[in-house]
Amino acid sequence: MNFDLSEEQQVIADLAAQLFGDLATTERVKAAEQGDGIDRELWASIAEAGLLALSLPESAGGSGMGLVELCLVAQQIGRTVAPVPFTSTTVAAMTLAEHGVGTDLLPGVADGSVILASALAETGANDPLAPSVIATRSGDGAVRLVGEKPAVPALPLATAVLVPAMLDGATILALVDLSTATAGVEITPLKTTSRESQGHLTLDVDVPASHVIDDDAALEQLFLRSIAALSAVQLGVGEGSVAMAAEHVSNRQQFGRPLSAFQAVSQRAADAYIFNEAIRSTVYNAAWQLENEPGDKARADTLAAAYWSSEGTEKVVLAAQHLHGGVGADIEYPVHRYFQWGMQNATALGTATSHLVRLGDQLATR
Amino acid sequence: MDISDTPEEAAFRAEARAWLDEHATPRGQSTEEPDLGDHVQRARDWQRTLHEHGWAGLSWPEEFGGRGLPGAFATVFAEEMAGFEETTGSLTVSLGMVAPTLMAHGTPEQQEHIAKMLRGEELWCQLFSEPGAGSDLATLGTRAERDGDVWVVNGQKVWTSLAQFADYGILLARTDPDLPKHTGISYFIVDMNDPGIEIRPLVQMTGQAHFNETFLTDVRIPAENMVGGVGEGWSVARTTLTSERSSIAGGNSGWSVETLIEEARARGRCDDPVVRQQLAAAHCRAEVLKVMGYRIRTATSQGRFPGPEALAMKLGYARHWVASTETAMELLGADATMYDQSEPWQYAFLNQFAIRLGGGTDEVQQNIIGELGLGLPREPSADRGVPWKDLPR
Repeated sequence: MNFDLSEEQQVIADLAAQLFGDLATTERVKAAEQGDGIDRELWASIAEAGLLALSLPESAGGSGMGLVELCLVAQQIGRTVAPVPFTSTTVAAMTLAEHGVGTDLLPGVADGSVILASALAETGANDPLAPSVIATRSGDGAVRLVGEKPAVPALPLATAVLVPAMLDGATILALVDLSTATAGVEITPLKTTSRESQGHLTLDVDVPASHVIDDDAALEQLFLRSIAALSAVQLGVGEGSVAMAAEHVSNRQQFGRPLSAFQAVSQRAADAYIFNEAIRSTVYNAAWQLENEPGDKARADTLAAAYWSSEGTEKVVLAAQHLHGGVGADIEYPVHRYFQWGMQNATALGTATSHLVRLGDQLATR
Repeated sequence: MDISDTPEEAAFRAEARAWLDEHATPRGQSTEEPDLGDHVQRARDWQRTLHEHGWAGLSWPEEFGGRGLPGAFATVFAEEMAGFEETTGSLTVSLGMVAPTLMAHGTPEQQEHIAKMLRGEELWCQLFSEPGAGSDLATLGTRAERDGDVWVVNGQKVWTSLAQFADYGILLARTDPDLPKHTGISYFIVDMNDPGIEIRPLVQMTGQAHFNETFLTDVRIPAENMVGGVGEGWSVARTTLTSERSSIAGGNSGWSVETLIEEARARGRCDDPVVRQQLAAAHCRAEVLKVMGYRIRTATSQGRFPGPEALAMKLGYARHWVASTETAMELLGADATMYDQSEPWQYAFLNQFAIRLGGGTDEVQQNIIGELGLGLPREPSADRGVPWKDLPR
């Protein structure tokens, strides 16, 4: 048993930290927010550094690594609140590679020319494992998709989107091409609290058999990988916000001493630190389990990581925002971004409660 | 990064499991509730059995009678041991706190005790807290005065776990009241059979007298029983206190999330969605502690000192204890109000204060985490540099 990163993993973590630290500056993040929600220069740099190809198989021009390495990059994205659709693209690409569907898109993923989306969120109770889009067979293995998907990350930027749907009582994933305007595929760009690019998807379209993953287990796998990657983003968000808060309360003097010398302040910051360590532990454990020993235990471990990254990061960013006092309220000051990312991600693929419900079902019935 | 067992760890796990199946009692099979004295004797007996079969001191250096294995092997054994009734919990002070302190700071003669602890022959207690010195332990006032080759000790200690069964104690006493509080303290080994020691058990709301008051009157301690030098007691005590925190966090609690789920199932509560969420939350907390344990053991086995995240373990463990035993009380329904010492959940619930307060309170842990984990400036202390004798008491 060894929980340390391997040399290769450490190189990736260091590279990502340096790249995002240098390039995802507050000025550039602001510029992307005022544009279409992506920093294309940064995206090209990530591609050039090989980070988009990390978890693609070698046969598709990738490095053949896995979810742990992907999470190392995702963590740095959260840490710098960098506006790039990294997790959305790379997690979907892992699914395509695994099932041999849409493999013609993978070289484009590696070089940054293809952005992918996964339409996991649902209206109502937001249960990604119970898709509301209905698929019906339309001959020769092709399916017709009818329905709507809310809050799809990166949808307005994407070349293609993976859409979970119900077919004959089981779940499928259908890859819908967005590279050209298609009748029956409607995308409405959405304005989100974190300023992440998202879209609403309305579908009444045929998908050819070659673009259908007709495997009931594929959706859960995509969901678990997605929440693991999102949890890694949350770890970075928590780290970034606590670092800013610790610096602020150590430097700001009130009543003749640094704010942090008051226990009401330092203990709240300490609790935020503890949450971050809980998230760090469970996220990397989950990513490793999903990659190396998939099954019930990996599922439970991933739900635990998602619980902490929802429940914990909410508390972390709330504390960091609060500890900044009035200065944090000014949108010229960067800490609010961490609050908005942390809060949005905490509900994006299910809330802390929904992760507990799912995990509780698994524990109580085994 | 590789969370699975290495081939060596897997072989060790199989060997441990086979031995435990033969020599230990599966959890849940024992129905009798021993009194505290029996419990302590069983811990000593089990430690002797572990030692006889080569399962004691797994990660201790060979020079102290250990097997010198990497820390991961001790984790593997503890994981397998969790399924069985036997526990060495009564020897936590001896094995988890005194032994590491003597390994680091003891003379060769003092270190001879270590082998005896490993065989279950010696049980030790910790004479640190006083009625006037709790969270601010360094303000302690028990006096040790030099008289030729001995130190003469007078004072009172409190919350002394298992003092009534102990052979030896580790004692902090003030050797120079003119120095500031941290610098005038020395660390001693005291023979608990010394005639100047009087022990009065303190019955707690669990019904047990785990704690004691210990009165020391003209106790004569040979000078060679001082650990470290005169006035170095605080730095020696830091080793003990660090070990105490990790012993509490790594301890065998006698309950687990699995037993909590079994309790819910046995009481027909597993279909209640609120209960399920509470069980899931308990699972999530336990998961953090388990993986934090992996991180700490990885650091130790790579020759690194665990980072400040290790400090969060004890606090996390205490919070897990509080929340999970509260869930258990809800599961027990009306039974939760019955005073029943054989009810393990009620005992654990009532015993939560020992976990939250022992080894530094929750709030003391938070302060340390703020300072070491986040680098926050310390709260100014009013007593810095002031001679101990001039402090308000």
